[in-house]
Amino acid sequence: MSAVDPFSLAGKRVLVTGASSGIGRQIAISSAQMGAQLVITARNAERLEETARALPGEGHQSVVADLSKEADIDRVVAGAGNLNGVVHAAGMARLAPFRMINRAQLDEQFSANTFAPILLTKGLLAKKRIEPNGSIVFISAIASHMGPVATGVYSATKGALLGAMRSLGLEVVKQGIRANCIAPNYVRTPMLDGLSRGGGGIDVGLDQTPLGMGEPEDVAYAAVFFLSDASRWITRNYFIIDGGLTVAADIYA
Amino acid sequence: MNSAQSAFSLEGKTILVTGASSGLGQQIAWSCAQRGARLVITGRDAGRLQETFERLEGTGHKQVQAELTDAADREALVKASGTVNGVVHSTGKQMLSPIRQLTEQLMTEMYNVNFLAPVMLTQQLLRANAVAQQGSIVFLLSISAHIGTPGVGPYSAMKSALLGIIRCLAREQAKRRIRVNGISPSVVPTPLWGGIGEHLEPQRARHPLDLGTPEDVANGAVYLLSDASRWVTGTSLVMDGGVVL
Repeated sequence: MSAVDPFSLAGKRVLVTGASSGIGRQIAISSAQMGAQLVITARNAERLEETARALPGEGHQSVVADLSKEADIDRVVAGAGNLNGVVHAAGMARLAPFRMINRAQLDEQFSANTFAPILLTKGLLAKKRIEPNGSIVFISAIASHMGPVATGVYSATKGALLGAMRSLGLEVVKQGIRANCIAPNYVRTPMLDGLSRGGGGIDVGLDQTPLGMGEPEDVAYAAVFFLSDASRWITRNYFIIDGGLTVAADIYA
Repeated sequence: MNSAQSAFSLEGKTILVTGASSGLGQQIAWSCAQRGARLVITGRDAGRLQETFERLEGTGHKQVQAELTDAADREALVKASGTVNGVVHSTGKQMLSPIRQLTEQLMTEMYNVNFLAPVMLTQQLLRANAVAQQGSIVFLLSISAHIGTPGVGPYSAMKSALLGIIRCLAREQAKRRIRVNGISPSVVPTPLWGGIGEHLEPQRARHPLDLGTPEDVANGAVYLLSDASRWVTGTSLVMDGGVVL
């Protein structure tokens, strides 16, 4: 490379939630490989420490936090320092047929998948933690378009992020801050293993995915692109990465 | 290079870029070469193609002068290219006309340049098995493939039509893990937009992140050509500087 590499994350400080496993863990590792200094957070101290040990480079920081608690959000905001990027990768999925949905499931999944990223972003903005030209990335899911059986709650929580991201993007663009959403198909993660173990023969559409099962790296590299200056001109984007699954469906109908 | 860095590298890849004698195609060619790709560049104007060629970093590049609306020229290009790992269709022409004033001649020209040429070049490359497994095909579209703008109908229609090709071709080529995507930029001052100037001021006012640069579009192309996007297919990457209505 002759010029400055637009895909490099060197000199950028990036907060990744849900970094103890799956997509969040891989986003943290890939971002560190591209030169970023990481602030990683998750609930499980032991597994978060495992991710921390897997990060190349120095100066990374770990914060054990349960983002469904406002006090923990405040603590992450207070300790994060000034950030050039945020990736909201924390999330959970619990299957329930629609007639079995109850309030507790709604509260739990909306709290983890929707309220936590919104409130954490709000906290960071209120304390001016996100630097000009910073990048905020939400991880949604194409489940909210495909609507697999028994994912009503999960799909609703992820679908809500689209509207939140679009409005946020409009508000922060004055500071040159970008907000984007990555909507992946299911990739090989502990969350997916958990869903499969749950039984019920869940159909997550893998058979219909033209390029087959994806890996956490595939989502992580998209996140790297959206964090890097290579995507300097992209904001309020909803980026589907799904091995071609939604190509066969009119998801806008 | 670690695994993430090599995912974003184009080393060892041969990339064919059309419309490389100016504008977005030219920058895409330069950016791909900077990331280690070997380029095959094509354009109509031999002099300007040579200028692009001279500023390509690295060695082993090739230039082929061609008029891509001509089947014989496309065939010659396919022969000269050999096996490629990526294709970026950047040729394009803008002609404005409200539909009420539309002529068959204008519509036919827009069809020939913006739709028929890239689609049939793709067909000829695939027919010759010239796109390697796990290759990436990228069509330069436009935000007008997704939105309606008065007077832009002929261009908008041809770019939308390419979305249909992208979706179907993505499924057809998935078994060879060849990916097919688009890039849909809003306003980037290039010769197609009449270059940089005061005529773009109203556009500038609508783009909170300012107008795009050819580098911005080229970086999007690099991502879609690289292995970093190996699971992305059938989409178009919209880039618009946060444009507001």
